[in-house]
Amino acid sequence: MTDERDPKVSRRYRELGAEEPPRELDQAILSAAHRAADKPHAPLVTPAGRHRWYFAFGAAAILVLAVAVTVQVERQRPDPEAIAASPAPARSDQAEAFAYKQGEQKQAERAEPSKPLSDAAKKPDRQVREFARDPTPAASQSGETKPPPSVGAPSAPAPAPSAMPESADSAASRNEADMRARAPQAAPLPQAGALEGRVASSALALSPERLLERIAELRKEGRHDEADKALAEFRQRYPDYRISEEMLQKVERKK
Amino acid sequence: MREAPDEELMLAYRGGDVRAFETLYTRHRARLFRFVLRSIKLRALAEELYQEIWMRVIEARASYAPTARFTTWLYTIAHHRLVDHWRRGGLTLASLDDHDVPSDSPDPAQHAQARETLARFAAALERLPPAQREAFLLHEEAGLTVAEIAAATASNEEAAKSRLRYAMAKLKAALDDD
Repeated sequence: MTDERDPKVSRRYRELGAEEPPRELDQAILSAAHRAADKPHAPLVTPAGRHRWYFAFGAAAILVLAVAVTVQVERQRPDPEAIAASPAPARSDQAEAFAYKQGEQKQAERAEPSKPLSDAAKKPDRQVREFARDPTPAASQSGETKPPPSVGAPSAPAPAPSAMPESADSAASRNEADMRARAPQAAPLPQAGALEGRVASSALALSPERLLERIAELRKEGRHDEADKALAEFRQRYPDYRISEEMLQKVERKK
Repeated sequence: MREAPDEELMLAYRGGDVRAFETLYTRHRARLFRFVLRSIKLRALAEELYQEIWMRVIEARASYAPTARFTTWLYTIAHHRLVDHWRRGGLTLASLDDHDVPSDSPDPAQHAQARETLARFAAALERLPPAQREAFLLHEEAGLTVAEIAAATASNEEAAKSRLRYAMAKLKAALDDD
């Protein structure tokens, strides 16, 4: 870089004077420099000595807080199995099948009371309880009230929490009944086991029209008691269904 | 005996060596004071700003790193203080009217002419746009190169060079009127 200095200009500039700061100003600045040197540096720099723990303590507190919040969020998250009906049956089926098998095993054991229970026989009891408890961990932990089982999801494992204090026997028998009731239909039928004969066995899979036809057949065959019960079940199940006059004459008992 | 460079002294002061600061202060006090004084109209105000600049140096000692010459760092702080001052109270130019010419010549006529020339020079310096005057003062008083002026005033080298050339041309023109 070329020097832009001009000797003539520089000389004239020097002639302007050689002012200096007053002595008092020098003293004030030097005193400030002394005071600053005696004091520790600004607090925003990395703390040293006995203040070092501030940073460690702060970092630990932030870490604990983050973990606590994460755990809390995880706990409050609704159980996807309890909400979505589809994945739930798979697990509850497994539990129920296992419980059913255990129920049979228990009954066999009761038939042979002299045979002592081995550890191996006792162990599945605990497994049953664990299986029965397993499908609804989120609800039992968070205290959330589950919605009642919908019509489309009869196999939702809602009864599982109540099975916890039960014995394996009662759980197994209940599960057995559930499995029977659940078999082919898409909707739960109150008192489904009460349906009689062919109607009882196949009603769950039938449409309302087909069901009425079956009832009419029963009536035609003279099985009036069965037809009456089936009709009562039908009306309970489909309270809004309008039966045509023609069909009504076929399904109702003649007076 | 080797004189410690400014950067070394500042690092020593950062480590708590007050004597290093005293040496540094002694080296730069007069030049910095004149730089401020000739940028500001009022002496009292110049003294105040001068003190503020050194206080900033003291406060910033912990973050000082010798990435550039200490002089550049010092005058960068000074530049910022001046800019703050200009923003606060509007631009005020240094008045050099009361500067007297050293009477080397016993001839009253020569003395009067010299005084007149210096007054014209002072007036030309006063009339310079602030950026040009600052560039000139940084070059002439602080001894900064064009690159260092650019760094201290947060501009580029081309701009600093241009300002300095314009300032020098105007001041020379004022002297050539003799």
